[in-house]
Amino acid sequence: MIMTEGKISLPAYKLAYAFCFVVILSLIRGISFSFEIGIAMEAPMAALAMAFCADTYTQEITSKRSEIHRLYPMKRRLASIGLRMVLQEIVLLALSAVGYGMFYGFQHPQYLYIAGQSTESEFQMFLIFLPAMAVTLWFWGILSNLLACLFRNMWVGIGCGIVLWLVTNSTLGEKLLGNWNLFSYTFRNVMDPQSFGWLYGKVLCLLLCAAMTLMTPKIIKKRG
Amino acid sequence: MSIKIKDLTVTFKNKVTAINHTYLEIPNGVFGLLGENGAGKTTLMRVLTTVLAPTSGTISMDGILYCEENYPKIQRQIGYLPQEIDLYPGLTVQECLEYMGDLAGVPKEECRKRIRYYLEKTSLTEHRKKKMRQLSGGMKRRVGLVQALLNEPEFLIVDEPTTGLDPEERIRIRNLLVDFSENRTVLFSTHVVEDLAATCNQLAVMKKGKFIYTGSMTELVEQAQGHVWYCKVADESEARKMEQKYHVSAKQFVNGELQLKFISPFRPEIECRPCEVTLEDAYIYLSNIRN
Repeated sequence: MIMTEGKISLPAYKLAYAFCFVVILSLIRGISFSFEIGIAMEAPMAALAMAFCADTYTQEITSKRSEIHRLYPMKRRLASIGLRMVLQEIVLLALSAVGYGMFYGFQHPQYLYIAGQSTESEFQMFLIFLPAMAVTLWFWGILSNLLACLFRNMWVGIGCGIVLWLVTNSTLGEKLLGNWNLFSYTFRNVMDPQSFGWLYGKVLCLLLCAAMTLMTPKIIKKRG
Repeated sequence: MSIKIKDLTVTFKNKVTAINHTYLEIPNGVFGLLGENGAGKTTLMRVLTTVLAPTSGTISMDGILYCEENYPKIQRQIGYLPQEIDLYPGLTVQECLEYMGDLAGVPKEECRKRIRYYLEKTSLTEHRKKKMRQLSGGMKRRVGLVQALLNEPEFLIVDEPTTGLDPEERIRIRNLLVDFSENRTVLFSTHVVEDLAATCNQLAVMKKGKFIYTGSMTELVEQAQGHVWYCKVADESEARKMEQKYHVSAKQFVNGELQLKFISPFRPEIECRPCEVTLEDAYIYLSNIRN
C-alpha cells in the first residue's frame, strides 16, 4: 500500500521538478552567512509544498476516479489521502535537508560560530531548521490540498494558498503578526539564538494543521 | 436485488433538468439502458451510484432508501464503471487492481484470487505487468470493468463497457456480464444496440430525461413490426429524396443497385417490401417516429 501510494503521489516528474527547484534555489538565492540558509529556504519551500501537494486528491477528480472512490469506505479514502500527504511531506523534508547542504556546497557561507560570534553551532542550526521546516511544509501542503479539494481544482488551491503566502511573507505580514506569523522562523531574530518567540508562529501552524485535518473528511464527503 | 425509482427529478444549478419525474423498476439480471446523447442516462447512473443527489423523488435498493445515512450500506453493494475513467497510469494492471480492491475493503488474498479470475475472463492475464499507460483504450476499459467487479457487487452499473473493444472482446465482456448477473442486477448502458440485444431481456429507453419505453426487448421490437421496409433506388439522388421523406436506417449496394432500409409509420406509396425488425430499427422507430 505504501509503495503504491508512493507511485501514485510521487511520479518521476514531480520528484524531478522539486529537485530542480531546490538546486536552482540553492544556486541563485544569495547568502553570506550560514544562519541565512533557513531564512532563504522557508518561504520558497512553502511555495513548492503548495504546488507539490495540491494534486494529492484532485488527481482523482481530474481522472474521474473520484466517482469510484465515492463508493469506498470513508476511512480507507482518508487513510489513502493521509498516507499520500505523509509520503510527499517526507520527500519535501528530505529535499529541504539536501538543499540545506547544497547552500554550503555552492555558496560557501561564513560560519559565525567558528568566528566566535554565535553560540549556535552549525549542527544546532540544522537541528532547529528541520522541525521548523517540517511544520512549514506540513502546513502549506495540507492547506493547498484542502483548498484544492474544496474547489475541486488544484490550481485554485494553489492560487488561494499563494495569496496567503504573499500576505504572510511580507513586511506587512511581519509587522502585523510578529511572532505569530506563519513564517516566524524566517522573521526570527537571528542575532539572538536564545529567543524562541518565533515558536508561537509554528504552534499556530500546527493548530491550523489540526483544524484542517479535521475539516478534510467533511470536505471530501461533501465535495467528493 | 431490485431497484425502485419513484418520481425522480434531477435539476442542475443551471436549471437544466436532466431527469424529469421518472419511474422505473430494475429487476435482477442485465437491464439495458438506451438513449441518445444527453438523454440523461449518465445522470441516472450517477444518482444510482450516490455520486449525485436527486432534486426530488425516491430511490430504494431492496427496500433500503437512498439517503445520507444509508449511503455507506448502499455503496458497499455497488460496482461502477464510469463512461470516462483514467486509471492510475503509473501502476501496473495488477497493482492498480490490488490497490482498488484494497480501497474497496476486499481482503488481500481474496482480492488476488478475484483479480486472477477476472483478468483471465477479460483476456488480460498476459498484460497484468504492463503499466496502465501502456494499454490500449479497449484494455483500459476492461481493467475498468474488472475493478467494478472486484467487490462482487450486488448492483453493477456499467456505462459503455464495450466502447473501443474489438468484436471478440465485446462478446467476452457481454458474456461476462451475463454470467455475473446471476442473482444480481446489472445496469448496462450503451449506444451499441446489438450489445443489448445479446445480453438483456428488459430495457429502458430514455429521451430528454424521460423514459419513453420500459419493458421487454421483444415487445419493443414488436411495436416496430410493419414499419420497417426495404426498397431499391436507381441512384444517389433518388436515395437523397428518400432520406428527406423517411428515416433511412441502412443503405448499401446490392448487385449494383442501391438498397435502402427505412422506417415509416405507414406503408409508403413506392415499391417496397417489409423486412425483419432489429432492435436498432425498433429503437429508431420509438425515438424518432413514435416520440
